[in-house]
Amino acid sequence: MSMADQLLAALLLYGLPVLFAIILIASIGVPLPVTLMLVAAGSFAKQGEMKVTSVIIAASSAAILGDQIGYWLARWGGRRLIDRITRRVGGVDKIQKAEKLSNRWGGAGIFFSRWLVTELGPWLNVTSGLTCYPWRHFIVWDVLGEVLWVMLYVMLGYKFSDRVQYLVEILGNLAWVILGVLIAIVLGWHVVKYFRPKPKVETVSLSTD
Amino acid sequence: MTKLSWRQWGVVLALLLVVSGTVYFAVRAIRPAIYWHYHQDEPIKEWMNVEYVAHSYHVPPHVLYLALGLPHKPPDKRPLRDVAAAQNRSMDEVRAILLDAIVHSRPPYPPPPPPPHDKPDDPGGHR
Repeated sequence: MSMADQLLAALLLYGLPVLFAIILIASIGVPLPVTLMLVAAGSFAKQGEMKVTSVIIAASSAAILGDQIGYWLARWGGRRLIDRITRRVGGVDKIQKAEKLSNRWGGAGIFFSRWLVTELGPWLNVTSGLTCYPWRHFIVWDVLGEVLWVMLYVMLGYKFSDRVQYLVEILGNLAWVILGVLIAIVLGWHVVKYFRPKPKVETVSLSTD
Repeated sequence: MTKLSWRQWGVVLALLLVVSGTVYFAVRAIRPAIYWHYHQDEPIKEWMNVEYVAHSYHVPPHVLYLALGLPHKPPDKRPLRDVAAAQNRSMDEVRAILLDAIVHSRPPYPPPPPPPHDKPDDPGGHR
C-alpha cells in the first residue's frame, strides 16, 4: 500500500485524531496528501462515519496551529540566524527590501496560499516569520484562508462522496495548473519587458557660444 | 531585433517549460472531468472498507458483507487489506468477490433481497 493509502486506512479506522495529526504535520511543511485527506473526510462524513462540522473544526484548527508553529519557529530561530549572518556577510538592505515586500503583499500571499496555491503555504509561513510580518495580520489572513480551504475541500468530498479518487486526481492536477499559471504570469511579464522597444534617449548638445 | 543576454534566454526557456508543464497538467485535469459520468465506479483499493465500496458502487452494504461472509451489523470499519488478511485471502481475491457481488446486485439481475437479521454473535465475522 502506498503512503496515501495507509493514511486513508488510518483515517477510516481512527477518524478525527488522524485527520488532525496529518494536517498539523503537513501545515508545518512535511509533504503529505492533505487534499486527499480532506476530500476523503468529507466523503466519510457523508457516509456517517464522522460529523461534517467536527471534520471542519478539527482540520481548520490543525492547519492554523501548524501555520503558527511554522511562523513562530521562523520568527524566533530563523530571524536570529539571519541577523547573525547579515551582521557578518552583509545584505541588511536586501532583508529590509524583503520585509517591505512582505508587508505590502503579505496579506494577499498568506490568504491565497492557504486555499488556492496550497503548495506555497508552509513557505509563506516561514517567510512571514523571517520578515517579522505582523502576527495580528498573519493570524487574520491565516484563519480566513484555512477555514475557506477546509470547507471547500470537505464539501467537495461530501458532495461527490462516491468518487473520491477521481476528484482528488482532478484537484491535484488543477493545483499544479494554478501554480503554473502564476509562475507563467511572472516570467511572461519579464519576457514582455525584454522585447518591449526601449525609449530612445535624446542627447541634447549644449553649445557654448 | 532585440538581443537577449544568456540570463534573459534562461527566463524565456523557463517560461516555455512552465507553459508546457501547465498545459500537461491542464490536460490531465480536464480528461477525468470530461469522462466524469462514465467513471462512476472507482477501482477497489486496500484502504477502502466495505461501507465505502458499497457507497461508491451504489449497492446495499449487506450484499458485500454477505459475499465476504461478514455480519453486516455493526458496520465493519476495517480496511479491505485487514479483512483479506483475517480471511487468509489475497487482495485480488477480495476484489474479485466484491466485484462479482456488485455485478449480481445491479440490473439486469434482480434487485438484492433486504438485509438478513444478524444475531449479535454471528460466527461469520473475523474481528
